Amino acid sequence: MSVVDAALVAGYTVGDFLLLAAAGFTVLAIGMLYRAVKGPTMQDRVLAVNVLGTNTVVILAILSAALSEPTFLDIALVYALLNFLMAIAISKFTVERGGVL
Amino acid sequence: MTGALALATGSLTPASPVVAQVTAVEASLLAFVVLTALATALARDVLAAVIVFGAYSLGMAALYTFYRAPDVALTEAAISAGVTTVLLLLTLAKTTRIDHDSVFESVNLPAASAAGFLFAGLLLTMGDIPAIGSPDAPVWSNPDVTQWYLTETYAQTHVENTVMAVLAAFRGFDTFGEAIVVFAGGIAALIVLHREVFA
Amino acid sequence: MSDAVDDTDMTDTVTDPGTDDSFDDAAADRDGSESELPPHRAAPRSGRLDSENRQGTPYTESQVIMPTVKVIAPFAFTFGLFITFHGGGSPGGGFQGGAIMAAVVFMIAFAFGIESTRDWLANTVVVALAVGGALAFAGIGLVPVALGGAFLQYDLLPIPILDPVKYGMEGVEIVGIAPIVSGVLMGLFFLLARGFNSEGDGFGNGSLDEDGSIDEDGSIDETGTLEGDAADAGGDR
Repeated sequence: MSVVDAALVAGYTVGDFLLLAAAGFTVLAIGMLYRAVKGPTMQDRVLAVNVLGTNTVVILAILSAALSEPTFLDIALVYALLNFLMAIAISKFTVERGGVL
Repeated sequence: MTGALALATGSLTPASPVVAQVTAVEASLLAFVVLTALATALARDVLAAVIVFGAYSLGMAALYTFYRAPDVALTEAAISAGVTTVLLLLTLAKTTRIDHDSVFESVNLPAASAAGFLFAGLLLTMGDIPAIGSPDAPVWSNPDVTQWYLTETYAQTHVENTVMAVLAAFRGFDTFGEAIVVFAGGIAALIVLHREVFA
Repeated sequence: MSDAVDDTDMTDTVTDPGTDDSFDDAAADRDGSESELPPHRAAPRSGRLDSENRQGTPYTESQVIMPTVKVIAPFAFTFGLFITFHGGGSPGGGFQGGAIMAAVVFMIAFAFGIESTRDWLANTVVVALAVGGALAFAGIGLVPVALGGAFLQYDLLPIPILDPVKYGMEGVEIVGIAPIVSGVLMGLFFLLARGFNSEGDGFGNGSLDEDGSIDEDGSIDETGTLEGDAADAGGDR
């Protein structure tokens, strides 16, 4: 029995609380979505999508722990590495439009 | 607190209605995905739509992960974060930008109502779809396909990843076709853009 | 986009559109300052990606982006290889790994300029990846056919000692799917970066020579790397 299956309060295990934490982070992501949609400037959106990416890495890592599937961390790693690419692509596009490269 | 946790972990009685079986993680992720999809469709500025579409793929990857489909989640992560956004931005760089005052598109009422009717019609079929993760779902309980793959994959192919075994071994010819489709996509891009070389 | 111009002040590059003179001045200033650097940094070796022989005009990018890409790119590429090679034991496979490896090339192109990326990743390499992957996949599939079996019947593969089914599948993923995906994605990236060939009568007749000469003499006049020229080439955009 792993740590995730250990009961904490009223029969709910650590994994349940981790799932609840993932849900909380997702609610925070919905809050950050307001800034990504509303703007008003592109820099706001770039920062918002960067925060969303980091948030998603956290959600994926928590899900990996809560579901007791360590290989799911690969997905979080991929996102952590490639979220940077998305951020620099959008920010370079924002700074010099038309001259992305 | 216990009520919220029961909602969060889906540990209500099995007979509870479908809405109560949706856990908090699912509900919040689905809300995030639906909101980002709507914002992508309605955004006035194309660049904003591309950015919000990146956020949409973040939610989809987390949702796939929650449903224990790591291969699909990995594909979503690699393709959307790494490739789609960059290719869309490159395409966008070849266009001119129009400044908009409003954030959202104005909604075309006939089109929206048509989409709404289609959505309502599709919702009518929801009652016949088995619940997510239900052991009675045909796609899971089918002894000839799913269960056969799950039990026989390691004995026959000696790899642990059933998805890859299905892709590369059991359905290898289909995968060959898919790879050729990707290859043909590259050639088609060359033809459409009137080029003879990639670089 | 006028509100974004201020952000470029913290970078080395001059991104103000249409000011080629100031760009040359800035380049001259950079050359002068580089000669005052300590000897081990003064003259980059000609083979380096950031040397003038490889790059033409010195291409400088934000001091945040270039070092970060230098740090991240090897890890991301290694992770792409891991996803590809370890597809049998963990999530992943050739498609995902190939996409990550192509994304590393995108990352490098964003940080070091697409022209230098075109230089070290020639069209031959991209085409060889895609075509070689397709041929390797077909070859692995056709070897059992030649031995009297069915297409992709792995247990007939003549692999000594090792398990032919497992390593046949890994071979399809590693030398088949991953090169196809990464090659085609890199090719799409380069294609979209250059854009539609609106000159000539299409299919390279008459226009390919002009495009080819750009690559040969290393000039970046019409390739859209400079901001001012990018604005001038408005017909393409």
